[in-house]
Amino acid sequence: MSRVALKVDKLSVWFGTTSARRQVVDNVSFRIGAGEAVGLVGESGCGKSATALAILGLLPTTTATVEADGVEINGRDIFSLSAAQRRRILGRDVAMVFQQPATALDPVFTLGQQIGAVYRRHTGISKKEVQLAMLGALEQVGFGRPEEIASAYPHQLSGGMQQLAMIAMATMCKPAVLIADEPTTALDNSTQAMIQHQLKRLQTDHNTAILLISHDLGVIRQSCREVMVMYCGRLVEKTDCDSLYAHPRHPYSAGLLSCIPQISATRPAGISAIPGQVPPATELPPGCHFAPRCNRAESQCRQSIPVLDTGLDRDVACFRQL
Amino acid sequence: MPTENIKAGPPLLEVRELSLSFHDPGKTGAAPAAQRLAIDRISFSITAGSTLGLVGASGAGKSSIARAIMRLVKPDAGEILFNGDNILDMAPGELKAIRRRVQLVFQNPSASLSPRRSVAQTLLEPLEHFAMGDAHYRHERVEQTLQTVGLGAEVLQRFPHQFSSGQQQRIAIARALVTDPDLLIADEAVSSLDVSVQAQILQLIQSLQQRHGIAFLFISHDLAVIRQIADQVAVMYGGQILENSPADHFFSRPAHPYSQALLAFAGQQSIAQPVERQLRLIRGRDSSHHTPACVYADGCADRMAVCQSTEPGIHQINYKNRNMTGQHCVKCHLYGSGKTHDS
Repeated sequence: MSRVALKVDKLSVWFGTTSARRQVVDNVSFRIGAGEAVGLVGESGCGKSATALAILGLLPTTTATVEADGVEINGRDIFSLSAAQRRRILGRDVAMVFQQPATALDPVFTLGQQIGAVYRRHTGISKKEVQLAMLGALEQVGFGRPEEIASAYPHQLSGGMQQLAMIAMATMCKPAVLIADEPTTALDNSTQAMIQHQLKRLQTDHNTAILLISHDLGVIRQSCREVMVMYCGRLVEKTDCDSLYAHPRHPYSAGLLSCIPQISATRPAGISAIPGQVPPATELPPGCHFAPRCNRAESQCRQSIPVLDTGLDRDVACFRQL
Repeated sequence: MPTENIKAGPPLLEVRELSLSFHDPGKTGAAPAAQRLAIDRISFSITAGSTLGLVGASGAGKSSIARAIMRLVKPDAGEILFNGDNILDMAPGELKAIRRRVQLVFQNPSASLSPRRSVAQTLLEPLEHFAMGDAHYRHERVEQTLQTVGLGAEVLQRFPHQFSSGQQQRIAIARALVTDPDLLIADEAVSSLDVSVQAQILQLIQSLQQRHGIAFLFISHDLAVIRQIADQVAVMYGGQILENSPADHFFSRPAHPYSQALLAFAGQQSIAQPVERQLRLIRGRDSSHHTPACVYADGCADRMAVCQSTEPGIHQINYKNRNMTGQHCVKCHLYGSGKTHDS
């Protein structure tokens, strides 16, 4: 592996006050090398976004507790930084693309103002230079007439265009780490391809490490070499995408794969789905959290917690691997 | 649905030469008060019990069609025939009767359910509005409908925020089903859901097709989703339908260059260079300068000189292979000479 850009060591997150707190991220560790893209996949409510927000220190300290042995960005432990020090890193060394650009963008400023502000804050260069760089960034992500986009307000753009503008904003400072939380969800195929193309470029041109969060393994496969599968706050399988596609070992990974609709010459007779739904963090079943939805579960699965076995070729937390 | 029934039945819904335009209030870069053509002389039909998948990129005009059928917007021209009656000519009373039989399911369930109404209130309201049965019947009908979508009577007193997005979409579908409609219009009804929840909702839709014989106008940008449930596929671009064909034809041999591009996109497993490198503002065409060209001419890989000067007619594709039945129509100059599409 190349130089480690993002290192997360034993990260746990709880929501709620100490008397009634519930764990949403459970002992998660991983690292991403410079220029690499790693996918984090799981259904809604599995703790993916909580993991991302905890890494950036964006969870409110009043309602969330974050514990970790260390979260390092380019070798710097960001949890040991003061708020002011952290602000100098956020947006410059590590940036985030949020799931809903419409709510992440400020409705009362033009896109040009918002995108330029991030760059100006971290570089301190003149307004004129910022303006040029901002237009360049918009052009980079594929806008034919960047001036038109820069003078527009967020509501004047479609969801896909807003997301591309968000990517322009996140990438202006050429961050070492980019966290993209469902960046293509609910966008049509061609817009999705465009956004993935931009993420790929960032990775190859600027050696940015990318953590791509999605519920769709199909999206992750197109952009990432490695993938981590998360269920109820725990990583349950961690391997390279090709192996996971060829042979998922955790029944949850297999279930997620089977849900992806395929385009086939003949219409499929039935549609497969994982039965049931993700339990709320207050009602986690004992043992393996996936056991109640798993058709391979036996008594051991309901009693003890499978650890993320650091096996030979991949990590799988399951007693009854496929 | 067995194919014979689909072919034999009269169209439940027939749309003829429908056009709809919006007034542009004068946004950035646009001439003020220009007419934007959202739907441009569209025709299609849906047979009772069958599913038409309407596919196209954002801004193609898919949702405008849904809104026009529900008469939430007023089309400029054309006809919308429901069982042979034009709903555009109907008096309010007649229209109300039609609305009971055509229901709509939206993309975002949390936004389409009222946060202040319990499930019981949400599902009883349509029955009360259409004065269907007495109180006893209504309660029975609500519970029966909940069962159809896979929920139990214990959810009746709960409110939308107490459900996951998948359960909310089930409630939204139940609200549409409770009046026993013949046609459901699902406008991106699974697009905002997780793949796992999406699969569960698609299973539900499949059972509604098979067990209840409900016809669907299923709008989606996702071809893989359309593949799972559509009998017929129509492809929209720039307010027009460019191809309309039985699903098996469409997915095995798409005829229009735009359909081919869409399928190539959807099928790709690794990152390829996007076809549309330059993102353009797709906001419908300015109907004040109507150019006699193919709407897809600018983006088309197979463009010929004629494509920029003449609007293509709608051509029917003939098959030599006897196994391929049903009308396959394409609006493209490539098929102008009555070519067969066989090898």
